[in-house]
Amino acid sequence: MESTLSPELAEHLTSAKARIEVATSLDDLRAIERDFTDKGGVIAGLLAAIPTLPPAERRDAGQGANKLKGAVLELLEAARGGLAQAGIDAAREGRGFDPTLPGTEAPRGSLHPVTLVTRELEDIFSSMGYQILDGPEVELDTYNFERLNIPADHPARDMHDTFWCEVSGAERDSDVGILLRTHTSCVQVRAMEKLQPPFRVVAPGRVFRQETLDASHEHTFHQMEGLVVGEGLTVGHLIGTMKTFLREVFRREIEVRLRPGYFPFVEPGFELDARCPFCETEGAGCSVCKQSGWVELCPCGMVHPRVLTLSGIDPEKYTGFAFGLGLSRLVMLRYQIDDIRHLMGGDARFLSQF
Amino acid sequence: MFISYRWLSRHVDLAGVSARDLARDLTLQTAEVEGVEPFAPALADVVVGHVLSREKHPDADKLGICKVDLGPLNDGGEPFQIVCGAPNVGPGQLVAVARIGARLPVAGGEPGETFKIKKSKIRGVESCGMICSERELGLGDEHDGIWVLPQSPEGNNDLIGLPVADALGSIDGHYDWIIEIDNKSLTHRPDLWGHRGIAGEIAAIRGIQLKPIATELPACGDAAGTSVKVESKGCSRYVGIAIDGLENGKSPEWMRHLLLATGQRPIDLFVDISNFVMLDMAQPNHLFDRGALAADGIVVRDAKDGETIQTLDGEERKLTPADILITSGGEGVALAGIMGGEGSKVQEGTTSLLLELATFDAATVRRTSARLGLRSDSSARFEKSLDPTLPMKAAAHMLSLLAELQPNMTLPSAPSEDGDWNDPAMEVDLRPARARAVLGLDETQLSDERIEAMLTSLGFKVVVVGDHLAVSVPSARSTKDIGIEEDLIEEVGRVFRYDRIPERRLIAELAPVARDERRYLVRRIADRLAGSAEFHEAMSYSFLPESLVENLGIADAPCVRVKNPAAEGLERIRRTVAPSLLGFVRGNLRRVAGDGGALRLFEIGKGYLPELPHDDAAEPKEIHEVALLLARPGVASGDPADFASSSIFRLKAVVADLLVHLERAARDLDGKSGLDWSVPTEGMGLEPYCHPGKTMVACASGSDTALALVSELEPGVAAALGLTGDEACDVAFATVSIDALVEAPKEALVHRALPRFPGVKVDVALALDEATPAGDVERALVQSGKGLVKDLELFDLYTGPNVGDGKKSLAWHVLLQSDTKTLGEKDMNKFLKRVEGAAGRLGGELRSE
Repeated sequence: MESTLSPELAEHLTSAKARIEVATSLDDLRAIERDFTDKGGVIAGLLAAIPTLPPAERRDAGQGANKLKGAVLELLEAARGGLAQAGIDAAREGRGFDPTLPGTEAPRGSLHPVTLVTRELEDIFSSMGYQILDGPEVELDTYNFERLNIPADHPARDMHDTFWCEVSGAERDSDVGILLRTHTSCVQVRAMEKLQPPFRVVAPGRVFRQETLDASHEHTFHQMEGLVVGEGLTVGHLIGTMKTFLREVFRREIEVRLRPGYFPFVEPGFELDARCPFCETEGAGCSVCKQSGWVELCPCGMVHPRVLTLSGIDPEKYTGFAFGLGLSRLVMLRYQIDDIRHLMGGDARFLSQF
Repeated sequence: MFISYRWLSRHVDLAGVSARDLARDLTLQTAEVEGVEPFAPALADVVVGHVLSREKHPDADKLGICKVDLGPLNDGGEPFQIVCGAPNVGPGQLVAVARIGARLPVAGGEPGETFKIKKSKIRGVESCGMICSERELGLGDEHDGIWVLPQSPEGNNDLIGLPVADALGSIDGHYDWIIEIDNKSLTHRPDLWGHRGIAGEIAAIRGIQLKPIATELPACGDAAGTSVKVESKGCSRYVGIAIDGLENGKSPEWMRHLLLATGQRPIDLFVDISNFVMLDMAQPNHLFDRGALAADGIVVRDAKDGETIQTLDGEERKLTPADILITSGGEGVALAGIMGGEGSKVQEGTTSLLLELATFDAATVRRTSARLGLRSDSSARFEKSLDPTLPMKAAAHMLSLLAELQPNMTLPSAPSEDGDWNDPAMEVDLRPARARAVLGLDETQLSDERIEAMLTSLGFKVVVVGDHLAVSVPSARSTKDIGIEEDLIEEVGRVFRYDRIPERRLIAELAPVARDERRYLVRRIADRLAGSAEFHEAMSYSFLPESLVENLGIADAPCVRVKNPAAEGLERIRRTVAPSLLGFVRGNLRRVAGDGGALRLFEIGKGYLPELPHDDAAEPKEIHEVALLLARPGVASGDPADFASSSIFRLKAVVADLLVHLERAARDLDGKSGLDWSVPTEGMGLEPYCHPGKTMVACASGSDTALALVSELEPGVAAALGLTGDEACDVAFATVSIDALVEAPKEALVHRALPRFPGVKVDVALALDEATPAGDVERALVQSGKGLVKDLELFDLYTGPNVGDGKKSLAWHVLLQSDTKTLGEKDMNKFLKRVEGAAGRLGGELRSE
């Protein structure tokens, strides 16, 4: 192309080329472009001089100026492409990158570990058709004891270390025994009051026992009650249900065993042990199961016919089973928490870990 | 309760059965075993030595130098030299020798704590071990001298060199084993509160026979018996048996060791035999000094109001008519079923006794024992409902045993007895088909015949009547435990073994479960707060410490109180959740990293307002709420212009977002009115810890019900909580009533179309009276936009000389945007014109920048 340019235009092109070669930024290129194409620029000057030329040269001069413009723009475009590529190349170098530098802090909130485990269990039981119920924490004697076949003066009341309550500053019937519920089993009675068999319910919540605090004893902890009432329910169904539930919790088959346990609201009553999920063997020196190979998981049993009768359910027609899961204990097992007091302690350093 | 293996073997042949086998059997079929431990394990470590000689220590009068033959263990055939200070050691004795390296229990140490015997020099004389006293081996308090072992019956020296445990007849290498049974699992089994009952279970489980025990009293004389009269309804049977010719003293070694194994300290024969029979037969009993009783003998009556008795533990006990008192000559001699009286304690040298065996009402004993805080082995058994036929059985056993130990014993008269007891033995029907139906077994797994055999092995008598079994329940089982068919099904199930019942899948027709709106809300609240709001979920006690209550100024509020708190000052049950979180602020300062150490907590919980009526009026009104806490270290700026950086307005944003997320408030600027924020009205009754001037409540549109409250902590309360000086914090808290949320009308969250045309941004500043709420201005701005205002951001709040006294300037970024066209300057000017008018109506003016 240069060969077709006049020496004067070729000189312009050469100078443009030289400037483009040394340009290091898009701004430099823009300045060059302006010098050529703007008003009062090189091209404009060349075009403005055309009328002063002999008519025979005017056509060539016009074409030459446009050619020069085209050539310069082409050079600029190429240079721009080059600069962009150089930028990408430089960016690709990743200079000073150190993958071990710390990530900046991710702000976050957290759910309480009891909530996390409760939800997991709720979801498992929901998937099995259970309804999730709630019940009051300040309870009446009748729900906590009487209608669970634990009348006044029953020695089983001793096991419960009950917090007995009264009301101050408000008028109340003083004859009504109120207490902090000692178990979530009260919700069994509330469920039978509310629902028609067949039904399946679980009721998670906090319960209270008059205990002195230490690493393994809390006066406030969490349980989840389960109650299934229907026709033809058997001990075999209870075992099957607990195995299904454990399989979901631990994501594998867990061996269980039932052994006698005494709770006045079930007959027969059981303790359900699970193969220790941590050591799975007897005498392995495991502290969770105290070397027995079994962990006591939950008291359970077939609902006592009197409990059914007291709630207006015919025990000849319906049978049922109930179980009480120690939620706090499951939480501690799940997250290997060695001190139960952390759960209710409100220490942000503990809470923010979950 | 502690059960001794050796003791059990008095009742049942346990050959080939280890203590651990028993523990497993009992756990799987009867009651929970909490542990199995060897008793006095040191006995397996010390060996039988034969004392050959004792010479006086040259440098210590009281010490002797003994040569002790350890038979095969002798050091190269030479007997051992042991320095011993006991006065009773002498040649010919068989003794327990702890050799070098043996481990003995630490006196007064932790259970299981031991020390090692080392070779030593005592006053210059080498001693290779130790001759042990009973106490040094963990066999009680006896420390008057060394323990002299019984010679082998043949008189030969076969025992020398054997571990002492083996010489005494060891069981799996130990003298005895202690099986600890969880008392709770025996609550319904009064018959299992003694070794004989447990032995009976083992016999049934293993299909073996119980060894017989004496069932008849030794011969009685025909003298007139001690008068016994029952006047209390709480005593159904009282038996008094006069005993003569007994000589108190140390009880036999075997008995002392069995008592020790079960945790009883041996005292003397009279105390020990009484305890022994109780721990054997589960029948508490009492020995009175007959000489100390008045002429009228024994009268069992209800105590008089205010009457007192000094019990054997030395305490003076004040009684009520609800207690049963054993009296003689009008004076109380024992608190029935719980503890004897100090006055009728057996005196030294007494040979004339009255044995009491009675049946007291379980509930009465339990109430008295609970009221007096006086628990005893006796009350623990009576409150389980003891068999009224047991007294005479226990008497036969006890007196036969005593007669063996003291052949001079005589019974001068026949037993005296009073009471209106009935034999509780009863008949209960069991349908085998029902048993199978409940247990989930079929006939091939559990036949009628098998059920019959199982019940028979447990001591029931069974007769087949048509399709059911008529089961005779013996009195030992019928006082409490067995009364209905299900109780018998339990017996069958546990003998079958529950762990052998096959699992079955639960298949049933169930109605779909209705959604519980509150539970649904709770989950969404927790997720939002722990998620984008970056709060941590806490759980706190329902109890509020009195110190916190004082600091928060809420001591006067009605509340539910615990009568027997876990600790003093923890009586009060919270009315609402927020106070609990406020109690967490101080302890958490400087514990939190990030965001300048801001503490962000929430809790979803319950509170109790006993003054409010409840549906059933019986239980106190329960409320559900979520409380939020935002505490940021440092002193809060008091300047209203800095509102955006204050905790309370940050928290307001979180709460507003939450309510929109829960579809209980419309999203701002979507054409409907959103939340209505205002200062609380008088009627709302502000809590004392709420800042009186910096508290706001949000009501759902068109409603008076407050959904949420956001407040700054009242400054005086902050100071009381210690949040001043270096600990100063800008504390804001909020409560959202979940109960109100459930009731509140739903504001469905609907999608807003994305803008199709560019908008214009315009900044608007208004000068206004200081008292004019920004919310009113925002509403005016939105109205002025006639639907075009799509976003508002208050970016400046100014008070000061530029606007004049009592005035403020508020400035917003406003986004105007249309759904149908691109807006231009004309639209903007129209808007500003309208704003100018609105500003005038608000008593202010549009400032031109």
